[in-house]
Parts: sequence; structure tokens; C-alpha cells
Amino acid sequence: MTEKSALLEKLASVVGRENVTDDEGLLSTYRRGGAVEGGEPLAMIRPGSTKEVRELIKLARAEKYNLVFSSSAPPRLRGDSVPRGEGIIVDMSRMDKIVRLDRRNKVALIEAGVTYERLIPEVDKLGLKVLMPLLPKRGKSVLASCLEREPIIIPKYHWDMTDPMLCTELVFGTGDLFRTGSAAGPGTLEQQWAAGAAQKNPMGPAQTDFVRVVQGSQGTMAAVTWCSLKLEVKPRIHKIWFVPDHKLERLIDFTYRSLRPRLGDEWLILNAYALATMITENGQEIPELAKEQAPWTVIYGVSGYEYLPEERVAYQERDLSRHAQQAGVIPVSEVPGCSWKKMERILAAPSPEPYYKTRPKGDFLDIFFLTTLDRVPGFISVMEDVASEFGYPRDRIGVYIQPIQQGRNVHLEFTVYFSPEDRGKGRELYEAASRALSEAGAFFSRPYGIWSELAYARCPDTVRVLRKVKEMLDPDQVLNRGKLCFTPEEVS
Amino acid sequence: MTTATLDTWKEISEAAYQDLENVVGTENVSREPAVLDGYAWQPTINDDPAKWVKRPVAVVLPSSTEEVQEVVRICNRHGLKFKAFSTGWGVYSGPTYDNVVQIDLRRMNRILDIDERNMYALVEPYVCGAQLQAEAMKRGLNCHIIGAGPACSPLASATSGWGVGWDGIYMSYGHRNLLGAEWVLPDGELLRVGSSDSGLGWFSPDGPGPSLRGLMRGSTGALSGLGIFTKCALKLYPWPGPSRVRIRGLLLDAKAEIPENVRFHLCFFPDRNRLADAVYRIGEAEIGYLATRTAVAAFIYTFAPHLLRRIAGTSNLRDVLSKGTKWGFVIMLVGASEEEIDYQDAVLRRILADHEGLSIEAMGVPAIGSMVFMNFFRVTAIPMVFRMGGLFSTALDRNDTWDTQLDWAEIGESIKRKWIERGGILDDLADNPFMALYESNMWAHCEEIFQYDARDPKHLASLEPMFIEFSIAAIEKCMEPLSATDARLRKLVSPLMGHYNEWQKKLSGALDANRAADTGMYCDEIDFDFSKVEPELKAKLDRLTEKFRWTEEGPPS
Repeated sequence: MTEKSALLEKLASVVGRENVTDDEGLLSTYRRGGAVEGGEPLAMIRPGSTKEVRELIKLARAEKYNLVFSSSAPPRLRGDSVPRGEGIIVDMSRMDKIVRLDRRNKVALIEAGVTYERLIPEVDKLGLKVLMPLLPKRGKSVLASCLEREPIIIPKYHWDMTDPMLCTELVFGTGDLFRTGSAAGPGTLEQQWAAGAAQKNPMGPAQTDFVRVVQGSQGTMAAVTWCSLKLEVKPRIHKIWFVPDHKLERLIDFTYRSLRPRLGDEWLILNAYALATMITENGQEIPELAKEQAPWTVIYGVSGYEYLPEERVAYQERDLSRHAQQAGVIPVSEVPGCSWKKMERILAAPSPEPYYKTRPKGDFLDIFFLTTLDRVPGFISVMEDVASEFGYPRDRIGVYIQPIQQGRNVHLEFTVYFSPEDRGKGRELYEAASRALSEAGAFFSRPYGIWSELAYARCPDTVRVLRKVKEMLDPDQVLNRGKLCFTPEEVS
Repeated sequence: MTTATLDTWKEISEAAYQDLENVVGTENVSREPAVLDGYAWQPTINDDPAKWVKRPVAVVLPSSTEEVQEVVRICNRHGLKFKAFSTGWGVYSGPTYDNVVQIDLRRMNRILDIDERNMYALVEPYVCGAQLQAEAMKRGLNCHIIGAGPACSPLASATSGWGVGWDGIYMSYGHRNLLGAEWVLPDGELLRVGSSDSGLGWFSPDGPGPSLRGLMRGSTGALSGLGIFTKCALKLYPWPGPSRVRIRGLLLDAKAEIPENVRFHLCFFPDRNRLADAVYRIGEAEIGYLATRTAVAAFIYTFAPHLLRRIAGTSNLRDVLSKGTKWGFVIMLVGASEEEIDYQDAVLRRILADHEGLSIEAMGVPAIGSMVFMNFFRVTAIPMVFRMGGLFSTALDRNDTWDTQLDWAEIGESIKRKWIERGGILDDLADNPFMALYESNMWAHCEEIFQYDARDPKHLASLEPMFIEFSIAAIEKCMEPLSATDARLRKLVSPLMGHYNEWQKKLSGALDANRAADTGMYCDEIDFDFSKVEPELKAKLDRLTEKFRWTEEGPPS
């Protein structure tokens, strides 16, 4: 028996032969993701239950495997599921049950493999909506999106960084099972439901919040098998507005004025190229369509709910128009190539295939980090300067500004688009821009690839404590070995 | 909770005391017994005030983070423990060991920054809610003030304690308002949580990568069992009213000029179901700045305790309060514009009509409105909860859906009724929940408050059996009793909830090699004294712990 077939046999002993593969076609999607390259996936295994996940982790501890958990379909955009060196991919897509939907308490309980595409219509039937990031890829796991702290597009519902995720079931790198928030017990989920609970309290249990440690950890602390997810009411009336302007500062002013009193539902700011990329599926039209747009556009939604929906929309629109006037900007109901109705459809669904950011050139890289809204123009200048140095046209950079935490900070995202054959040049620009932005004060809160090196160099105290936690939760380094600040020799 | 004795207490060594003096100066450290005993009595959750909590061996008053670090290092060097104290309130602020240096943070009382545009403040431990609110209001902002009142430290509740308040519907919960924290670890090393550790400002509490905020605390804080927080950034919220409210008089006698953009409804519903449904609708409509279900009797004993005692002795008035106004709900609306306040008001009235509710709009009744406004807006009335009996305690459950919290209110009422009839606690008409909504009713809170007189031996004898009875009731409802900071309860419930304390102990071990933090409220475990508990209750508890104890496979089905 070869080493490889021995490995497959051992894995099959946990999940059955039919759920283990070394098919190169499947594994190849884990060799590269975003700017991260060089993964060496040995096999892919598809557990069907928490029990199997636990057995798998125990096996990995005994055999010193490196397990890389992945719940979403390709393309791989960030590189967190690309092993550092050799690794076994644990594909969670078989665990795809929508375990429970609760209209009264506006909550879903879903397994790791449930995608937005699958969840949205089920939630819609109840008159509720899923809180989504901007145009997630079609096969994106909802739970993975939450674990990666992808920003949702409705800032008023983003109270805290764990939102919209509430309670979770975890399997630590030790193989121990744990549940967070009010799901922790006492009792099974069924017993808790019978008692009227709905796994809505995201905190605890008791005096730790392990879900926060696991969120953002790129699968290095625990596997997450399910989570409860807060849902919101689907509006009775919903309208989208655009506020195009050539001065970003005016739109920033308008955004600050409006988000403070929690006006609007969806709220995001795009530059012309990012907007054009979203609104046409024909990549060739994008440059022209971008030229027709104002350099910057705020997109916001206004909603009316069950009670007095027209009155709610009316007061919100009046107040927003007052803020617009004070900021010197004008809301309109369409922009070139996109009516408000069309934008409403775009924002309510995952990206069509192929993924929308591949439209301009076929390939792309994102650079994103957290900052405050007032600091955004400074970062844009840095990005434009680096792009110019590389001969990349400034007006072909995609810029997406997503207010989060009810407007207290923003996710700022730059996208550079290139053809697949120009990937090398694209990477060089990406790396240079990442370094320049880091120096300018970008907070890479989700440090994929080279960002982990940049981010952790700034915070040695955080690194010191994170390594202690890693040692506690994953003492044998079986979970996504070598990622973040957890190079094996440094942790041990 | 813990009890103290001086039998095992020893004076601090001369060398250790000298080291403390060298750090903070002689005038900021004390080992005077009278001073020490001033810290050894804390009023709340104190089940036997005759025993007090443990006397610290010294009290130090550092003025900076560096001094706090040095004091913690001294504790490590001399085999002492430390326990932080900011504004205090309950026994959880006091030591649980004999060799504890109480670190009183009252000299660290500055609001270091208010970022008006990005809506947060950077504060030190002894900044109190009222102080921060007053400064925030000048900038059109407000801060979350916890139920314990405006004299309490927002840093303490956000980092180390609980964090519930009436304004939770609009301003969430203490911990979820945190945007960063400066943390002196138990070994004296410094850690900043979030973007501040990268020197990039205090705007983001999580990352890079995993969030160390998850170690700091959960639904409850570590109560200094895992270090000391010396700064934190807290979210501020919009306040579209005047920059200061003009007030004449003090507290109960205060008359405030009520801002025009405020409405205050005292709502009443005919039964539980209609109240429950109406509150779900209020949450979905996303209205409200402050909301609570607090029994009318609770308002009376707060403002006029003698009157309530008299009412309790009459059958007619008692019925009116405990039945006629039982399903009440208080909600304050605040609008950023005239149109918004009119809209919110109209929605509320529509919801009331749909659920057969009535309301008194108190702002329109000058005599009531001017009195209640600041009592709710600044939570000034709450600390007067001590008035009726001198002391009170509270039974907390696991916060979750509004329905479960209404269940808890009813369970609490039934347990209390029995103890009131036995003369074990004061008669507050039994139904006395403190309920609040979080984040437009994403989830909700209930704690059942009970009043007692510490001079009455019968009352003191009731407290421990009641504590157990409430804990059993919570477990039976699949709820974590939120007084699980108690070392006795922790030992009982941790195995029912994924053995969470094994992880807390590991964390304590990883960050505190010398066991310098006072972990009595964090991860210690001690046995209950069941001698005062009825055998049937003990048997019930045994059955429940057996039923819910996690096995290797998880929670038993």
C-alpha cells in the first residue's frame, strides 16, 4: 500500500470511502486562492456530522495531519483554505441542513455547508431576510462568511463584529466539543427550543466568548459545524437611492450625517469602476459604463416595515434629503445603466456566475482592511500612488467602502483587475500596495496571506497571547497549520 | 457569595508594602484596618452582610497604567493576589482570598478622548456613566448606562462585569459596546485588544485574526480574575436632544425640562400574550430609545417604600397593582426629527391598539414627566432600590428570547411568593422583574429582584435556599444561571454547559502562571453547603445535573 493510499484508507475509516478523494480536479482549487499560492492538498474529505468532524480531528492529532476546513465552493478568493504546505481539505459542504427557521424570533440555525443561494429563498418564505455581504459568490457558505467577518451591507444591523452570527457549535483542535452563546446549555437544542429559547444570545457561556476567538481565525482554532444566525424583517416597501458625486468628501459628510441617526438600510459607497463592474455582466462594457458614472456613488436603501410603512419611508426620505442638502449632494433614483429596481435585485442576491469581479479582465485581487470613514481619502491617495508607480490606471481601481458597526468604522476594499496572464504583475502591485497601505495605517483585521506578516509585526503583545491560546485550543497544530502568526516552531 | 474571616488574614509583609509605596507614593497606599474594612463591605449580592467579604491586605491607588502594571508585578513577586476595584457596588468587587491587594482605580478618572464623528469615547476605569453621558450630550451623543445606575463605571461593566440597562433596545449591552481595551495581564504585561494594539487607533476591537476580546469576558466578565482593564473605547450613540437638560431640584424632587423630541409611554396590556406579541412588534418596527418591563410596585417601592408596605397590607389596592397593572411596559421614544418622533409615536399607538393596550404618555403630564425623565434617561432612580429593605438581591437567568424572559419573570414571581408568605423576604407584591430588550429585541433580559432586611435573621436564613431554588429553576428551563460567577454555582453548572470552566481554568493557567489574580469570581470552584436546603430541592438538583451533564458526546439527549 502506498503512503497516499494508506492516508486515504485512514480518512475513509472516519467518513466512508465515498467521502474521500484525491481527485486532482477538485484538489487543484485549493492550490491557489486570492494572492496565496503553493498549497499542496493531499486529499479531500467530506464529513457528514459533528461526530465525524471530532473523529477526524482526533485522527489528525494521532497522525499529525494538517486539516484545512472549507465550506464554500470555488473560486477561492482569500487563500485561507489553501494549505501552507501539505494539508488535507475538510470540505463541510455535506453538512448543509437548515436545521431550524424561527419567524417569531427571527433566527435560523444552519450547518456549515448552507449557502446564501440556498438560505435566501427559505427565509424569504417567512417574510424575513438574510443579512448578506455585498454580492457573495454563489456557493459561499453563510457560516464561513460570518466566520471571516465579511461585512454586511446594512450597517444599522451591524451592532457588533460577530453579527449576524449568534451561537455556534465548535470542535476545538483538541477534539473537544463546545457550544457558545445561549446554545451552550444546559440541554440539547431540542430541549432549549421546547423551553422557548432560540439560541439568540451570542455571548458566553459564562465568562469567555470563544466564538470571538474562533471568528477571524481562518480555521486555526476550531472547526465550526453550525451556527444560529439573526434574520431581519423583509420590508413591506423598499427603495434604493443613488447619490452620485465627484467629491468623495461630500459623500463622506452625507454618510456621517445619515448613519448617526440610523437612517437608511443598505449603505455603501463605490467608485465608478466598482459600480460599473457590479451593474453589467458584460466585461467589455465596463470601461465605458464607468466613464458615464460620477467618480463616487453612495447607494442606500430605505424601508418601511409592517406598521405604517409609507410613513416610515416618508420620514426617512425627508430626513435623508435634508442631510443631502446640507452635504451638498443630490439623491437620484437611477444612474447610467442601473435603475433603483435593478440595484435592489443586485444587492439582494449572490453574484451570478462567473463571479462578478472577474468581469473586467478575468482575474483580480482585493486589498481590504478596516479604518474609519474620515481616513478613507488618505488611503485612496496611497493606493492610487502605488498603482501609478506600476502603470496601473487609477480609474481602473475598484473602490468599495462599507460602513460597519453602525457607521463607527468601515471596511475599505480596493480591487485591481488583470488578465490571468498578467497575474504576476497584478501580484506585484498587490504586494506593494498592501505594504504601502499598511505603513499608512491600514488595519488588516482579516490577515490573509502576506497581510498576516504585515499585521502581526505591528502587535507583538497580541501575537504573544494568541500563541498561548493556540497552544491551548490546538496543541498539536492540526488546524490550518502555519497560518496567521502560528508557525509551528514559534507556537511550541 | 464568599464570606470572610479574620482568622486566616495576615498583614502584608514590610517588603511588599515598601515596594507598593515606592510605586504609588506613601499617600496612595494603605494598610490601616479601618481603611481596609471600608473595602470589605459591598452592598449588592451580599448574602450575609454580617460576615462581610474578605479584608484586603493593602489598598493601593495607582494613577496610571504603568503603576497598575508595577503593582501587579509586585503581587507576582511577593506571592500576593490582586483585585481591581473601580466604582464598586457588589461583593464581586471585593477580595475572595486572604492575601489580596485591592487596586482601587479611582485616580484613573479621565475621559481621554471623544471621537464625535466615529461615535466612541476612550475612558479610564473611574469615569462614571453620568460623567460620560454629560460630556457625550454636548456632542449630540449618549452612552449606555447600566441598570446599577449612573455612578457606575462603564469600563467596569463593559470589560469585567455584566452590562444590562434600560437603554439596551437602542444602545445594546456593555460588552458589545467595546471598541478596544487596554489590559494589564495577571503577570503585569500589557495587552491592547484590537486595532489599538497596532497603534492604529481605538476603532476596532477584533483582530488581527482571532479576537482576544473573547478571552476577556463572555456574557459576564472575569471580575478581575484575569487581569485589570485600564482603558477602554466604548461606543457612543446618537442623542438628538439638547446638549444639557435643565433641571431644578435633586433626584426624586427634580424637575426637568423635557426635550420636545421625547415621548415616554407607560403601557399596559390585558394579559401576557398581548404584551409579549406587542413587544415583538415593537422590536420589528425598530422604535424605542429605552424600554423595560418593570412592575408598577417596583416604581412605588423605589419612590415611596412606606407606601408600598401599606399597599401590600390591603387587598383592593394590592389587586389593582398586582393584577390590573401587571402586564405593563415602559418605552421612551426619541426622534432625530419632528417627523421621526411623530412616526415612532404613531407606530407605538397602532401596536397598542392592535394588542388592546393602553398607554399614559407621561411627557404630556408635566408632574410625572418632569420627574421620570432623568430617572430613566440617566437611570438615577435605580440605586434607590435599596430603600425598601436596606438590601436587595436578584435572580438572573440566561438571556435569550423575550418569551423566555417573560417565563423567567413568572417563575421568579412564583418562587418569591412562597418566600414572602414564609416571611423570608419583604413583600414587594412578588412580581418584580427588571426586564430589558437588547438591540431592537434581538434578545432580552430578565432578573427577578427581591428585597430583604439584613437585620432580620429570618431573611438572612432564606437567602441561600432561595439562591439554590432560583438556580434549579434556571437549569430546569435550560438556562445558565447568570450568577454563575459564584464559585459554588460554577462547580454545579459547568459540567452541564460543555465544562466551560475547564477552559476558563486553562486560560487562567496560560495567562497567570503565578496565580496572582484573585480568581474567586472567575474560575474557582467550591462546594455548596446544602445543609440549609430542603432535601426535595437537593434531590431535584441532583436529578437535573444528572440529566443535563455533558458526556463525551456532548449534551445528553
